[in-house]
Amino acid sequence: MSADPIVQLKQLLFFIHSLEENEWDELAAIWQPFTAKRKTILTHAGETEKYLYFVTDGVQRVFYHDEYDREATIAFSYPPSFTGVADSFLMQTASRCFVETLTPSSFLRTTYAQLDELMHEYHNIEHLIRLATNTAFAGVLERMIEIQCYSAEEKFRTLLKRSPHILNLIPHKYIANYMGVDATNFSKLLAKVRI
Amino acid sequence: MRYTSTELLNKLYAQTEKHIDKAISVWQTTPGAIFNHSAAAGKWSAAQCLEHLNSYSRYYLPAIEKALQAAQKPPAGIFKSGWLGNYFFQLMLTDSAGNARKKMKSPKDHRPPDTLNGVGGLTEFISQLEKLGTLLTLAQQVNLNELKVPVSIAPFIKLKLGDTFLFYTAHIQRHVLQADRALQAAGAINKQSATF
Repeated sequence: MSADPIVQLKQLLFFIHSLEENEWDELAAIWQPFTAKRKTILTHAGETEKYLYFVTDGVQRVFYHDEYDREATIAFSYPPSFTGVADSFLMQTASRCFVETLTPSSFLRTTYAQLDELMHEYHNIEHLIRLATNTAFAGVLERMIEIQCYSAEEKFRTLLKRSPHILNLIPHKYIANYMGVDATNFSKLLAKVRI
Repeated sequence: MRYTSTELLNKLYAQTEKHIDKAISVWQTTPGAIFNHSAAAGKWSAAQCLEHLNSYSRYYLPAIEKALQAAQKPPAGIFKSGWLGNYFFQLMLTDSAGNARKKMKSPKDHRPPDTLNGVGGLTEFISQLEKLGTLLTLAQQVNLNELKVPVSIAPFIKLKLGDTFLFYTAHIQRHVLQADRALQAAGAINKQSATF
């Protein structure tokens, strides 16, 4: 029996940085529950990301897709974590990416306007967001190294270490796309790595 | 037969979600040998069942999408099936044990080849189901009685969109159950012959 979404959110946020009770009360008040069916586009490329999503159920991906049909899955998200197009959200600029649900999904979400107001009012909340952004940034650099240096097999093993259940949660074509391999090579990898 | 349009679409959507879920959580990690195993001469493997379904999806999903784009009237509360559409739908149904009520030979164009490439069929099947889910959602905004879809094996026959969804999803259900039986048979045989 999983905990109340707002409790899960508090756990994740306090793991990053603790807030005073009154600060938490204000922050807790700005989130709304939201659900979406499978294959719902939450954010389109070109839009400004309005929401920060806290995932409580399901798997989603942030991906790039252009007019030349090039597609890159940037990241997967599943509980308990945040999703949305981070740079577009934080800077309130046009997103280059899409966010879509890969399974039926549930979230708590808040808007930039509401979070920004709290960040202005409470230095501690701004501090929390800065620390969370630092971690996300470090993750991006780590992924850049992975993309440029790792073999397909190493990428796969790294993904499975981070997200062991992913093979049974989403269609493998998205995992293959994340790793930059085609479906046939992916199934060979799957056979090799799982033995 | 009369259906409440939204209830019908919701039911078919839920059925589709069940199939996607099974394909993702079970079939994707089923070994290829089991997926391609034929229990007896003339019996299809699970892979052949999916390829058969894929061959229909390649026609019907674009055809349904084209029909949706032609929508002009708002949704109707009630969908009334046509007699031919209902006939095709009844042909596809299975009994409570999941066996086909009426056995049929599949049309020549939709007979799967004897040898299949390993994983492509399942990948395509999952993509087709994702697409179907999206179309069923879009269909909530259109009139299921008004829009027509030509039948693949006889394009001069046009069925109501609601009937097309009904028989197309019943066809999927029929062969998903058949694929399950093929996997069970293959799994049982695999257990017997495994020497670890």
